[in-house]
Amino acid sequence: MFSFLGRRVNFEMNLCCFQRNFSAALPSLVPVSLPSKKETHLWYVLPDEVNSETLLNQYLEILSPYEKESIYRKHGHQLKKSALLARALVRATIARYQTNCQINPRSLKFRKNIYGKPEVDWQNDDDWCPPPLHFNISHTSSLVACGVTVDVPIGIDVEEKQRRIKNNILAFAKRYFSHEELQLLASIADPEIQHQEFIKLWTLKVGQEAYVKALGRGFSAAPFKTFTIWTRVETTVNFQHFEALDSEASEIVVESSDDPENLTNNWKFALLDLAGSHYAAICVEKDNSIGGETNAPMSLAVWKTIPFVEDERVSGTGAVVAISGSVKQF
Amino acid sequence: MAATTGSSISMRSRLATSRISGVKLASLSSQGRSSLSFQLRPLPSRLQISCAAKPETVDKVCKIVKKQLALPEDSVVAGDSKFAELGADSLDTVEIVMGLEEEFGISVEEDSAQTIATVQDAADLIEKLIENNGA
Repeated sequence: MFSFLGRRVNFEMNLCCFQRNFSAALPSLVPVSLPSKKETHLWYVLPDEVNSETLLNQYLEILSPYEKESIYRKHGHQLKKSALLARALVRATIARYQTNCQINPRSLKFRKNIYGKPEVDWQNDDDWCPPPLHFNISHTSSLVACGVTVDVPIGIDVEEKQRRIKNNILAFAKRYFSHEELQLLASIADPEIQHQEFIKLWTLKVGQEAYVKALGRGFSAAPFKTFTIWTRVETTVNFQHFEALDSEASEIVVESSDDPENLTNNWKFALLDLAGSHYAAICVEKDNSIGGETNAPMSLAVWKTIPFVEDERVSGTGAVVAISGSVKQF
Repeated sequence: MAATTGSSISMRSRLATSRISGVKLASLSSQGRSSLSFQLRPLPSRLQISCAAKPETVDKVCKIVKKQLALPEDSVVAGDSKFAELGADSLDTVEIVMGLEEEFGISVEEDSAQTIATVQDAADLIEKLIENNGA
């Protein structure tokens, strides 16, 4: 099992003679249209559905030496596999969003921006303008996801719903969450529901924190404790009150105790129940150049995929359930 | 940048007489053909050596990490083990930090926590914090 990971030298020797433009063994990629400025695309892979050793070897083949090395260093099969799928998903997905020419996923180069966020390092040809794609990946051992937008930055985070923590939830919240969030969690009597709310909050906080750090904007240096994530629900009489993260068609609001200007208003957040097994948080910067954009819902398309093999559009199905944040699936 | 032989010899001889390891050429500009002006700025003469944490500290960290990540007893976790390679995600890392805080009676700032990549980093930070507590 997973002997492909042991044969470091062998597969390199075998496959290098097949290299032309594409790895000859892999089928060609089916192109996808770029998201429009208002859209967010989300692609995910379930590692349990990808078991062909041949396919996994082929994925390894499109990675850079640095990426391969990083995967080899991981301990254990599941870690290696999900790390491999994450890189394969990113490369295959970005390569599909073509403009005029076919992009070889193997040829993509990545770099980190000054805040440490990975981005594509487009190798510019003379006449070719690189697509203004933004992406972000997140994965657990059982789900690998990649979010894609055009023009505006995106941050995502996925967490297993059933993920247990070793510490007591309230002790954890007391240490890391804001006072309001701790109060909210403490008020939940049912331990299962409390656990769910905890994971939802964590997912949003991590997704948002990583995103904010990556941008280096707003309260980038703020620890978790200084901001609170609420769902704001407006009733018909325009009275706003705050509830736990459970209301649909509601807006997720981040209140920062350090940030009076509340720069968080520039971002849209959504929290999804993905594939029945994960919470996914998505943060996208609002594009204020588009009229009427400020309060528009996040327009989201979701695909379950096995790179190079198949896609299934799952937006609007039971595989993608918006928990909070204003989301319109298409 | 142009340098005439005469000037470069004089530069070299100046460097030879001053302690090379202690000085750094800050700026080099040529005025006219033969004169070079530059400044010598001494580097701090005291080398900062950070002492690696005690082995017992490293061992305790390894134990906490193994427990948090539910690694098998025989798995190899050492000072140079990277959390990411062991499979620690962000939640694990935060929980590990919490475990370390409890075990060692310290408080770790979030930005310090971000800098921890290996077990050794964690152990070094712990000892530094303990020392600061004592001071």
